[in-house]
Amino acid sequence: MKTQTGTFTSPQGTRHEVRTRKRRMLCTALMVLTVALAASAQEAKRDSIGKTMRVGYSDGKANTVAGAIDKVTEQQMNKGLVISSLDALSGQAAGVQVTSGGNQAAMMTAVRVRGTTSLTGANDPLVIIDGVISDLSTLSTIYPADIESFTILKDASETAQYGSRGAAGVIEVATKKGTESQFHISYNGTIGFESIYKRTRMLDASQFRQAATNLNLDYIDKGGDTDYGRSIERTGFVQNHHVAFGGGTEEANYRASIGMTEHKTVVETNNHRNYTAKVDISQQAFDKRLTVDLGFFGSIQKNNNLPFLQKLMYSAHTFNPTIPNGRNADGGYDQVTEATWINNPNSLLEMKNDDDNGHLNAHLNAEATLLEGLKLRAFASYSYSSVNNAHYYPTFVWSHGEAYRGNNKSEELLTNIALEYNLNLPTSNLQLMALGEGESQKVKGFYTTTTNFPTDAFGYDKLSAGATRLWDGTDSYSTDAHMESMLLRAQYSLADRYTLTGNARIDASSKVGKNHRSGFFPSVSGAWVISNENWMKRLTFVNNAKLRAGYGLSGNLGAIDSYNSMQLVQPNGLVPLEGTSATTLGIIRNANPDLKWEVKRTFNIGLDAAFWNERIALSIDLYRTKTTDMLYVYDVPVPPFPYDKLLANLGSMRNNGLEIGFGITPLQTKDMLLTINMNWSFQSNKLLSLDGDYNGQHLTAPQMKGISSLWGAGFHGASDVVMQIVGQPLGVFYLPHCNGLTTDASGARHYDVSTEKYICGQATPKATMGSNIAFRFRQWDITVQTNGAFGHKIYNGTALTYMNTLSLPNYNIMQGAPEKNIQDQTISDYWLERGDYLNIDYLTVGWTIPTHSRHIQSLRLSASVNNLATITSYSGTTPIINSSVINGTLGIDDKNTFPVYRSYTAGLSIQF
Amino acid sequence: MKKTHLAPLLLLLAACTLDEHPRDQIPEEQILTTATGLYRNTVATLYSYIGGDQDGQGLQGTCRGVYDLQTFGSDEAMLPTRGTDWYDGGLWQDMYRHTWTAGHDLMKNAWLYLYKVIALCNRSLQQLDSHRHILTATQLQQYQAEVRAIRAIYYWYLIDFFGPVPLVTSPDASMQEVRQSTRQQVFQFAVDELQATLPLLAPENSTHPGDYYGRVTQPVALFVLAKLMLNAQIYSGTPQWEQTIRYCNQLEEMGYRLEPNYEDNFAVHNETSVENIWTIPLDHHLYRSQQQNLFRSYHYRHAAAYGFTGENGSCATLTTLRIFGYDTPDVDTRFALNYWAGVVTDLNGDTVPDRNGRPLTYQPWAVQMDLSGTPYAETAGARMKKYQVDKNALKDGKLMDNDIVLFRFADVLLMRAEATIRCGRDAQADYDRVRLRAGMPTRPATLPNLLDERLLELCWEGWRRQDLIRFHQYRSPYQGDGQTAPIDETDGHTTLYPIPADIRALNSNLKQNPGY
Repeated sequence: MKTQTGTFTSPQGTRHEVRTRKRRMLCTALMVLTVALAASAQEAKRDSIGKTMRVGYSDGKANTVAGAIDKVTEQQMNKGLVISSLDALSGQAAGVQVTSGGNQAAMMTAVRVRGTTSLTGANDPLVIIDGVISDLSTLSTIYPADIESFTILKDASETAQYGSRGAAGVIEVATKKGTESQFHISYNGTIGFESIYKRTRMLDASQFRQAATNLNLDYIDKGGDTDYGRSIERTGFVQNHHVAFGGGTEEANYRASIGMTEHKTVVETNNHRNYTAKVDISQQAFDKRLTVDLGFFGSIQKNNNLPFLQKLMYSAHTFNPTIPNGRNADGGYDQVTEATWINNPNSLLEMKNDDDNGHLNAHLNAEATLLEGLKLRAFASYSYSSVNNAHYYPTFVWSHGEAYRGNNKSEELLTNIALEYNLNLPTSNLQLMALGEGESQKVKGFYTTTTNFPTDAFGYDKLSAGATRLWDGTDSYSTDAHMESMLLRAQYSLADRYTLTGNARIDASSKVGKNHRSGFFPSVSGAWVISNENWMKRLTFVNNAKLRAGYGLSGNLGAIDSYNSMQLVQPNGLVPLEGTSATTLGIIRNANPDLKWEVKRTFNIGLDAAFWNERIALSIDLYRTKTTDMLYVYDVPVPPFPYDKLLANLGSMRNNGLEIGFGITPLQTKDMLLTINMNWSFQSNKLLSLDGDYNGQHLTAPQMKGISSLWGAGFHGASDVVMQIVGQPLGVFYLPHCNGLTTDASGARHYDVSTEKYICGQATPKATMGSNIAFRFRQWDITVQTNGAFGHKIYNGTALTYMNTLSLPNYNIMQGAPEKNIQDQTISDYWLERGDYLNIDYLTVGWTIPTHSRHIQSLRLSASVNNLATITSYSGTTPIINSSVINGTLGIDDKNTFPVYRSYTAGLSIQF
Repeated sequence: MKKTHLAPLLLLLAACTLDEHPRDQIPEEQILTTATGLYRNTVATLYSYIGGDQDGQGLQGTCRGVYDLQTFGSDEAMLPTRGTDWYDGGLWQDMYRHTWTAGHDLMKNAWLYLYKVIALCNRSLQQLDSHRHILTATQLQQYQAEVRAIRAIYYWYLIDFFGPVPLVTSPDASMQEVRQSTRQQVFQFAVDELQATLPLLAPENSTHPGDYYGRVTQPVALFVLAKLMLNAQIYSGTPQWEQTIRYCNQLEEMGYRLEPNYEDNFAVHNETSVENIWTIPLDHHLYRSQQQNLFRSYHYRHAAAYGFTGENGSCATLTTLRIFGYDTPDVDTRFALNYWAGVVTDLNGDTVPDRNGRPLTYQPWAVQMDLSGTPYAETAGARMKKYQVDKNALKDGKLMDNDIVLFRFADVLLMRAEATIRCGRDAQADYDRVRLRAGMPTRPATLPNLLDERLLELCWEGWRRQDLIRFHQYRSPYQGDGQTAPIDETDGHTTLYPIPADIRALNSNLKQNPGY
């Protein structure tokens, strides 16, 4: 177990803390309160050693856990401005990388546990919320204040419990439940604004005129002077409100909460709203032999998205600054027709792309003690999600206009039943568990598009205003997948010192090929609590020392959609037939009947230790994973295949890593407490092979393939920057070397680029760091969270594009570009830069106000600044780009980053 | 203990089934139950691939595929680099300067597309065979004939571009079995297949809406046979001029003739043309196939004047301008029908203004491979006109109603004239028919004149590369642009495109064409 961070802010804590605080609240004295808060932080620490905790499907004592897991409790979760529950996790656990909203607000928060282990994109960790299989987007809708803890399962000795789905790591989320206490109610709220402090600086109108004139260009001059970058900006606004109440007795209790979040980002028209409601009820019966829990969670999320973020940013930067801001005299927008990649940014903001997502989950857990030590548990959960999308692209940006409406509905049913047997012997303990699980997932949806609008007045609200409904603009889909699993688990502990755990899970899924239906995912792990050895007792400064090791298999089927293993037909086009237009059917891909799971094997060895009354705590993990039967869309030879892609299990990849977490408490007095927590993770990745045998024949995928490339005028084709190369880490820059700039006869500069390309760095960080420093003085506290990433590079495609004076006069260029006069945008290592950064994520100051009211248990005010500063040598606006997700934006800063902003928020927490 | 309690669990698991029951995709068996279903889903389904709406798909109308190899590898047209536009990693410069390599996208796209259709034809033939009990003997023969004819046409495109290619005729062929045949063998296969299927194909016009619209009927097969024979010396080493004449005669006997007005063949509603032999049916309400070549050629503001989007790309080369006699008193009448040059007007005849309100003016003579930094970077080059503007077109003007003309009778007359001359006989009559229809004075029917005439009559239709190769005049046409030394083409290696590198990486049996 990792150490606990010492922040002091929780008005509600874990179940244990609440009880602690209740007891002490009776005294209600100011000093006592602060002591209590400090004490609870310490108690939480001690908890970590002896407390019962739930990992995966089973309960166990923390000191028997042998796998690499990290638990982030409410105390550790990020303070400051936390809009999504994923923000709360950022930087708190070694090996967990959260690329959160921030400067890429339009991008979904990406989470990676121990980096990328699969090629096909199924690298999102499995999310389990109160036992319900879920996903990152659902997690992001849960209000942070409703979360009690995150438990991150990193190595296969623990993730094997989730079998075929666990390979990318597992994030278990426990939400807050009712407590056996009298009625209590709390309010949590933050309100704040966001303000841009750094942006890409382009030529202003007079500089633009001068530069175009110097180059003898015929440019449009409408006489204005507009900073189009600023024209799409505004002061962002954010507010969160959350009310929770609960109460009950020892036998029956409940907790209910509602929350709302509103976020207007720093870019005009981009808004997010989220509303949640949650109820949990628990009842015990038959002399506490039966416990029944019912949980209910609902959320509605409404988003006004930016339809084409990159185009918007590119346009805002490069649109002709001499064109006056706003509409022209005719009520329309002036465009630079010659600049086909961009539009008037004002007109782009008129494009609408809205969605609302409804999510509903109900789950029931029943636990019955049949005999002494024998428990039967049954769990059932039903989730329903519905996403409505709509967009409207007005006629002045999209010829003829386009309206789109779509709905996607998914239903998930999960049931499991488990028998647990716990045998306590004088010096040892045996736990056995058998579990059967079934899951069904149905997804249905449809969409329709119409075009040819006489007016933009209807937006997407009247589809029939569009004269034309194109065949390929309307479709529906329906898939249905099933999975059945069985898990056997045994754990034997001896003398509180030695623990051996074994898991065996069998998964069978409808998505894989008929002959590979079931997969076997075993794991074994052991823990040795050295500090409990008698010979260690003399070393009283050692509070805890545990050595653990584990090995296991887990699978990945995220890349497999339903029906991929079957050769099926679907509509492939329209042809004239017997005098009319007819839909024909045909195969649209190569099927792979041998499709199976990708398997990841992990070996993990770890050490947890705490010294001097836990004032120093340390946790180290070393791991090695190998992914085999790697799912990937391989290139296959045409002929004989009709299509050149085949999803198959062939290649392999390796990841090695070291994770270090430590916490120190250098100062601890009655009035003061200083804690420093830090985690580091180092990772190396290597794509071992993309070869293998398919159907008795050897397949070799290309040893080199583009991952991400530049976009924009003059970059259509042959603009790969980040490549996937066998034998290299996934995502390396492969570019020609630039020897510098040469000047031609006309005075224009060009990149002097050699013909040979070479591997010049990796796009993913070699090391990442999260650090949290918290200081308390009496009722005042201050917390600083800093995250960093090191050892990777960033391709500054923004500068390559904006420094090219050939972009004039249709596209504006950057400050400084006319002086350099580079008339070239050849891709080379010239604009490849170090990506190392240290980012001060937030600084929070809190004041726990002493109250003398009988009804107020605690009252706290806080103020935060998020995104305080970034320390980096990178020359672009921010180095915080996509450096983790393997997709078309990996490692490239390509005219798509949000302007960099800080958030300033004030918060109030009150508990009655 | 474990065992006893697991038993009910196992039963529970066994009770469920993990078989998939797809709803939005269906097993092929469900649609191959009747003769109609078989025709629709084994034969008609192939026609959805003749045209296309994505890069590399379709025989014509899309970008970066078959049509670009035919057109931009010749001296007929080019995609000059216009500042930041159209550099695209040197792709188009390579096409024009013949400096392409096996890693070029266009070749790979064309290979994948052509073999995809062939592989789907092979599947269709297998399905027809295994469902023969549903069909009458005649139906089976006719359906098979149509698929085999389509497949033969696609093999013709393959040998035209790549020379020796694998001849795959079964969907069950293993990867190891895929080896190249000689160009001559594949040529013979295509000829044999077309000859064998010819009597079984419908003797119907394929360009008129109705039962045979867009299909491979007898005249389509005859036209391809005529082309195969016309180029037989290149494909197989043995000229077949008399055979060319024979197939051309058969086409004439089927009633094809020249439209009185050249431009009617390319009108919005050109389905009534009596000259067109095979077209890709286009209709923005009914089909998906697009015509992207106009979109790619128009200047931005030119396209905007029609309510479309333009990419300001492709244009005529200097060679083409000279052959058309542009800017001379003797300019060919077809120049104005095929090209935009000089001041651009909209549909009302009003001039289209440029960015500062002056008339937008194309500068045909200003064209050069790299226009960056020149005053005419945006306006250089005569642009594609050919097809009548369809005001109702959607998707940036790409989804229009003018059917794309693949084969037409004027070509047949020129083929027959050429073959006749090469046989040592007089072909003035055929030649004059083409010239006179265009309102041009007669010229002696000589081979050099015929080569020029093929460009004058058939520009933008994708024939120039093949014609230059047949006339042994195919070599890097862009010399003296001061940027690159012309490559050595004396060995004629550029008359074949290289086998795409990515394809060879996956199949080591494939040998690269000489010179690459």
